[in-house]
Amino acid sequence: MTGRRNGRPLVPAYLSTGGVARPSRNSLERLSVLTGTGGPPPAGLPAAQHALLALLDGGSLTLMECAALLRLPVSAVRVLAAALTDQGLVSARPPVPVAALPDRDLLERVADGLRALKL
Amino acid sequence: MIEIPELAVGGLAAGTLSAFVLGGGLLRARRERAGHRAEIRSLRSELDASRGELDRAGAAFAAEIEHLARTRLPAEATRSAHPHVRVPGPLGPAGAGTDAVLDALREAVVAERKRVDAAARAGMRGTTREIQAALYRLQDVLRGLQQRYDDPELAQTLYALDHENEQSLRRAQVAAVVCGAWVGLAREESHLVDAVTGGQARLVGYHRVQVLHHLEPGTALVSHAVEPVAIIVAELLDNALRHSSPDTSVVVGLERAHHGVTVTVDDAGVGMAPDERERAQRMVAGRDPIMLSELGDPPRMGLAAIGQLTRQFDLSVDLSSPSPYGGVRAVLLIKNHLLCTVDPALRPHSAGAAPSTRQAAGHEPRPDRAQPDEEVRQHPAAPARQAAAPPPGVPSAGVPSAGAAPGVPSADGDLLPQRRRRVPVQGAQAGRSVPAPRIPARSPEESAAALGALQSATNAARQAAATEGNDPR
Repeated sequence: MTGRRNGRPLVPAYLSTGGVARPSRNSLERLSVLTGTGGPPPAGLPAAQHALLALLDGGSLTLMECAALLRLPVSAVRVLAAALTDQGLVSARPPVPVAALPDRDLLERVADGLRALKL
Repeated sequence: MIEIPELAVGGLAAGTLSAFVLGGGLLRARRERAGHRAEIRSLRSELDASRGELDRAGAAFAAEIEHLARTRLPAEATRSAHPHVRVPGPLGPAGAGTDAVLDALREAVVAERKRVDAAARAGMRGTTREIQAALYRLQDVLRGLQQRYDDPELAQTLYALDHENEQSLRRAQVAAVVCGAWVGLAREESHLVDAVTGGQARLVGYHRVQVLHHLEPGTALVSHAVEPVAIIVAELLDNALRHSSPDTSVVVGLERAHHGVTVTVDDAGVGMAPDERERAQRMVAGRDPIMLSELGDPPRMGLAAIGQLTRQFDLSVDLSSPSPYGGVRAVLLIKNHLLCTVDPALRPHSAGAAPSTRQAAGHEPRPDRAQPDEEVRQHPAAPARQAAAPPPGVPSAGVPSAGAAPGVPSADGDLLPQRRRRVPVQGAQAGRSVPAPRIPARSPEESAAALGALQSATNAARQAAATEGNDPR
């Protein structure tokens, strides 16, 4: 699902956030994982926040994936997610830092060892 | 021998006779001369009178010509642009023939105005077309930058630039449409609510617009109607926003009608006087040809553009009824032949567009509204059709990621997040159906008792049916 599939988008990105591009919190990164907290959406929720909440309905997605699915720029989704987090409708988990990931060399050696065992 | 007296008498007689004759002729001649003189006198006086009359007529005609040149011709020329100007009549009977001059002048002026106007429109069309193309290229660049960079400060600037660009684009596009150009952009079939929201985004006060979307999801416009509807909605909204107080909101309602779909724009502004309303209605009807010189200075192009589009695309705009909010109510009717349906699951409308209230209303009677997951309508990725599968299949159908307890939403405190799409929906449906299928476990005695009870009951019923069937009638 690419952004250009439908040609030139009719609705510009700034409309979804009301022209705001500065999120209310700076903790959200591109790979932050968003999860809906499952509460009922309040009545007067803006349309784009509603769409994001519905997208997270019953699952979790990273911020980038949300942006791709909603066909919005990451900056807009960040604003939406921050607003929803502030209202307690979405919980955000920071991405796994690079330092905490296992060493690539070690994993390759383990994989090599497993292949050697199998043969 | 001739006697002298006789001769003398004869001569005298002849002389007298001739004298008489001559005298009579003389008398007659004198009388004739007197008659001629009288005739000449009368003719001369007659000539004098007619010459005086001719002079007077000449003077009157000259005055009439001057009146024609100084007063009537300018008035007639003005009247071709301003019909309320009254052309004064001729001064007297001498100007009776000058009406043909005015008629010829009127035709010539109208033809010339049309020619000049067409030339002006052609020039403006060419210019605005190029400006519009340049702005679309700029829009592409801005949107590309928005996708690539997500730094908040930069994004804020890009949003502002994009909005400015949209407004310029709207102006250029409207000018081009008024000048008889095509709308300038081919789009594919799009959700009606997207076209309305797209029109809303082109305005300064778009925050004040509230869209109430009461159509069934998937109501869309055929490709060639998308951009005209967006332009018309933008112009109607612009009028509404411009003529209402900045702290009021403008309400847009999307409703299904028998002949199509209506877009109603209500503002709480000052409203229009009846003659203004009549003029506006005449302009949006698009029956009269548009003259650039009649649009005022600065030219008010919005209504003229709406008129041009309604005529070209068989749309209709009604401004005749006042709004219940006290302002103006504009109703755009899009007929059925301009509508189509797209699958909202495969091609959802934009995230910024208002979600439809239609399905939510359908869900209202359900007893359990606590699950927000029921709102499957705008899930872009998962097809809603599968989610709404027939309930009998739900308990037995294997749900791959359902886990041990499909009905229980996991307490997602410390668990790793999982992709569990649609599971809560099915859980909700299972919860609504009879809970009998999920019986935990039975002891063998209980099973035997239950099956025995079933068997004896069945036997009893069969016997009863058999005796009834044997009953002779």
